[in-house]
Amino acid sequence: MKNIHKALVLTSAIITGNVQAEVTFNGFASIVGGVTTSSSEQLYGYNDSFDFSEGSLVALQASSDLGEGLSVTAQILARGADDWDTGFEWAYIAYDASDNLRILAGRQRVPFYMFSDFLDVSYAYPWITPPQGVYSVAFDTFDGLGAIYSSSVGSFDTSLHVIYGGNTSEFDIGDETVKPDFNDLAGVAITLTRDWLTLRAGYVQTEMNIDVQASKPLIQGWQGAGFPDVAADIEVSKDTGSFLELGFQIDYENILVIGEYTELNLDGTTLPNQDSFYVLAGYRFDNILAHVTYGVDDDSRGRITAGVPVVAPLLPLLIPTNGLTDSQSNEASYITLGLRWDFHDSAALKFEYTSYSDDLNSVNDAGLFRTALVTVF
Amino acid sequence: MNIMTVIKCKLLLCMSTLLLSTSSLAGVSVIVNSGNGAAIGESDIPRIFLGKVKSFSTGDKITIINLKYKQATRNEFEKKVLKKSASQVKAYWSKLMFSGKGKPPKELASDKDIIAFVAANSGAIAYVAEGSVNDSVKVIKTF
Repeated sequence: MKNIHKALVLTSAIITGNVQAEVTFNGFASIVGGVTTSSSEQLYGYNDSFDFSEGSLVALQASSDLGEGLSVTAQILARGADDWDTGFEWAYIAYDASDNLRILAGRQRVPFYMFSDFLDVSYAYPWITPPQGVYSVAFDTFDGLGAIYSSSVGSFDTSLHVIYGGNTSEFDIGDETVKPDFNDLAGVAITLTRDWLTLRAGYVQTEMNIDVQASKPLIQGWQGAGFPDVAADIEVSKDTGSFLELGFQIDYENILVIGEYTELNLDGTTLPNQDSFYVLAGYRFDNILAHVTYGVDDDSRGRITAGVPVVAPLLPLLIPTNGLTDSQSNEASYITLGLRWDFHDSAALKFEYTSYSDDLNSVNDAGLFRTALVTVF
Repeated sequence: MNIMTVIKCKLLLCMSTLLLSTSSLAGVSVIVNSGNGAAIGESDIPRIFLGKVKSFSTGDKITIINLKYKQATRNEFEKKVLKKSASQVKAYWSKLMFSGKGKPPKELASDKDIIAFVAANSGAIAYVAEGSVNDSVKVIKTF
């Protein structure tokens, strides 16, 4: 909260420093209700009692033109899932160096996915939220520098987005909240658009340092047993994580097709590598969009104990270590049926049913019904 | 309210709907300042109004003016020229606005206000109902 307060004071100081500058307020909100279809099922944070907080969010954006191509923007977002605690999703100063080049300094989005830039603006895409299987990296924002170069090449509108910075926002691994240090975070995303066709490719990599208390006993155990390589594989320290995305969008008359494929590579850790994709097909009937999405997630982490002899004294280390890596495997697929009804000029009502199946353990199979009222203002 | 009044009201509604739909068949004219000598092709128009082109061929900065929402001319312009529904256009600008990539155009309430703005601002571009155009602005294309 202290940081937010400081940032607010700073932002208003910058904004009011220029007497002429007028501040524009905009915002967006999603009120999402969800319930699983049977008592034993859990999916995406929902269970069988109807819940209105998990997916709900409200955001307010303040921005001000300072003249000479300079502007300042702050976006504050509160999520129901975090007890409506507020945080800064965006807080940056933008400079239009030319018609084609915009430079952003401050907190902004990592361009992981096709919908990264407006990840929480549900009004801007068909689903209530983009498919969780693909949209699964542990963080969405970074602090640093970004540059967006837009131009036309032949009949294509192109955009080249490069970023550099870092992230230290807390997230959860299992039951533990960790404070990571992702540094040297660098990425590039290219988008080509021509009439009804959009093609996108993105690549992001970062050095990862994550102190996980739960893995300390194993790390110390392997170090003590004389296997520092195994210890190093469990420890997340100076490991490189990389992420690749390929996506397309066809928006032709009443037909909408969207697809994204992603690869998350976390080699050198016990966290899983993840390959995921989804494809959406939709059709617009006047102000109603009906859509169906099919997606597959494949997570795995090979055993890291190949060089360790299977002898009795090492079993107390071997068993939990193999258990840890084996438990990262996940093969799942899902189908989501959805409706979006644009009943108002700045609001839409959405209904979705997701059928999730876990190919390794059918206990995790679940059906989830969600509905949402989404708006921009 | 007796039955006759209800029927009359319904008739009136029908007639006004008819009138409204005829008026929405009228043309939409894209206008610029009369001193604007830039070459603007038909294919440039949607790209300008979606903020993809930011300067005219003369190098002057473009200021897009939009008509306030829920007016027939705006719906028609978005459908005919941008080939998008009102909510698709709204979603388009939301994407840019909340991602630091751009901001939606300034909106004015009437054709009269728009023509006055375009006449007074050299870089302005807007659209109005064909019938509203007067000599103070230059029409580059009527859809």
